[in-house]
Amino acid sequence: MNYIEWLRVRNCLRTTAIVLVVFVALAGILRISLSRYMSPQQWAQHIGAEPGTTKTQITLPDGTKRTILDNPNERTHIVIDDRGRAGTHITLTEPSSHEHKNAENVQIGGIHVNESRHGDLSTTTIDTHGAVPMLYFMAIADVVALIIATMLAAPFAREIDGHLEIAFTKPVSRVRYALGVLAADVAGIWVACALAVIACYICELFFGTYRVDFSGINSRAILMGLVMPAAWYALLCAATTWFSRAYGAVLGFAWPVAIVVGVLAVVQASTPLGLMVHDVGWVLSRLDPLTYVKFAGPDANDAMAYMGADFARRFGIEILLFVVYAGLALVRWERVEA
Amino acid sequence: MSTITISHLRKDYGGVAAVDDLTLEVPDSTVFGLLGPNGAGKTTTFKCMLGLARATAGDVRYDGQALRPESFERIAYVPERSTLYDNFTVNEHIEMTRRAFRAFEPARARTLLEQFGVDSRKRVRALSKGMKTAVMVALAFSRQAEMLVLDEPTGGLDPVNQRHVLSLMISEAAKGHSIIFSSHQIGQVERAAERIAILQHGRLILEGLVDDLKADRKIVEGIAPVGGFSLDGITSDSRVARCDRTERVVRLLVIDGAPEFAQRLAQAGATGIRVLDMNLEDIFLYAVSPADATTAVVAQELAP
Repeated sequence: MNYIEWLRVRNCLRTTAIVLVVFVALAGILRISLSRYMSPQQWAQHIGAEPGTTKTQITLPDGTKRTILDNPNERTHIVIDDRGRAGTHITLTEPSSHEHKNAENVQIGGIHVNESRHGDLSTTTIDTHGAVPMLYFMAIADVVALIIATMLAAPFAREIDGHLEIAFTKPVSRVRYALGVLAADVAGIWVACALAVIACYICELFFGTYRVDFSGINSRAILMGLVMPAAWYALLCAATTWFSRAYGAVLGFAWPVAIVVGVLAVVQASTPLGLMVHDVGWVLSRLDPLTYVKFAGPDANDAMAYMGADFARRFGIEILLFVVYAGLALVRWERVEA
Repeated sequence: MSTITISHLRKDYGGVAAVDDLTLEVPDSTVFGLLGPNGAGKTTTFKCMLGLARATAGDVRYDGQALRPESFERIAYVPERSTLYDNFTVNEHIEMTRRAFRAFEPARARTLLEQFGVDSRKRVRALSKGMKTAVMVALAFSRQAEMLVLDEPTGGLDPVNQRHVLSLMISEAAKGHSIIFSSHQIGQVERAAERIAILQHGRLILEGLVDDLKADRKIVEGIAPVGGFSLDGITSDSRVARCDRTERVVRLLVIDGAPEFAQRLAQAGATGIRVLDMNLEDIFLYAVSPADATTAVVAQELAP
């Protein structure tokens, strides 16, 4: 691993860590501010204060503190099981209204909400001990990783800009030197990704469960989340190496261009000119690693599935793009003269 | 053995030769000075020697071996301008060099930096031009490199540190190492170098041992009589490299046979004749200024 590049990466990671710590601190402040609204005891106290409500509190053999709230007048029956670190399970039975659906299963982070209707009564169960899908964390971590990838994506251009005499008078070949640089940067991107996941996890601990779901689509999300920022980095690395004199502009325009190309690729046009622009955008978008990230798409059963059904193909393309772009950067690096 | 051999080196930029058919040898245990006016091709020569620029033609060998990445364990380079990383500290540069070169001695680098008065905890961007040069010199001289290529290694340094760099070069040569360096400060070259080469427009115009060049070249100076006098047979002699005139003072730059030319000048009617030794600066200036035209014009003017 290239030491100088690692120093650059280290500086970048230091900044990333500081920003993430600030976000975690803000999340902590938010959690403290919301604590009275998030405590089952507070809910029980609030609901129990309504006229006609009876409140019963017992401790189950496993240590669960159960609170039962019953209001025959309102036809509501609430059971709150406070399991401490194992989360809270709430069952709420109440008269159905037009807002209730026949059956619904919603998951928000570690909170699972299940709703079912039985005649004129609806039962809602809320379980805060659900595992948080890793893909949630990866979606956030990928944004961080892409930012870091963009920041690091001009290693060779920076060397060309006044440091070649150091780089090229080391007792290693240019290719080996370049591979060391790429390794340092990709490692840095992945470490940034990991830092973001850790920050997300700490925030999750503030608000809910400590369990994370790594299974199935989540493992795909991890794989794609690691490869896609690396491919994006390699694309920018190739561009900045070939256009080293304007590497700042390349990095500055990378995101706007990627967004415009992405939009052109999906927007359907009716005029011949519009169609042509769309086609050009579509072709260009094939070269963009961001194109192959699909957060949700229909699977074989037409159900929505993260990463889509053609994950393997898109994952393979991301790896291919990384290799091709890194290769292009190396080709240019090999020919550079001081 | 640590000999650098340059054979018929040529480097073109856009069809213009920056270095043209350069052949040189830097023997071991030698400090070799490369001189030339701005744009003469000194830096380009160094870059081609080190593979930083691809030579259009020619060959550079280190102890008979072509340059390979591993060669840089034995070759140290100090570029003309700072190539250090502004955002990193001097200590981080020391660490970078330690990781890159097996023979690097961090303790020696720190000692040298201390002698140069550089605080190694500082970031490079906080250093002056001279201090940056000092850092590059300290790193290069702490690598036990057998061949040192130094492009203006005293640039920006104060006179005390300039002298220190020259001493380091001489010490390295005493260890059997080869040093080739360029400088516009000819006094320094004269002090440190045993051999010199002068480049102009990419071509080698003069090369040899400093002592030999000085011993061979003399200036024969005399005062021409009022009304002029004939220099026939003198300026056309192949041993007369230059003939200059300031008012009535005539100066001949001769290679060999200075007493003979003094006598011939006296016979032609000149008075106050002196034979002067040349220093390296004189040799350089006479070598790089347009000689042929001047000689012809002066000869014509002096004719009766």
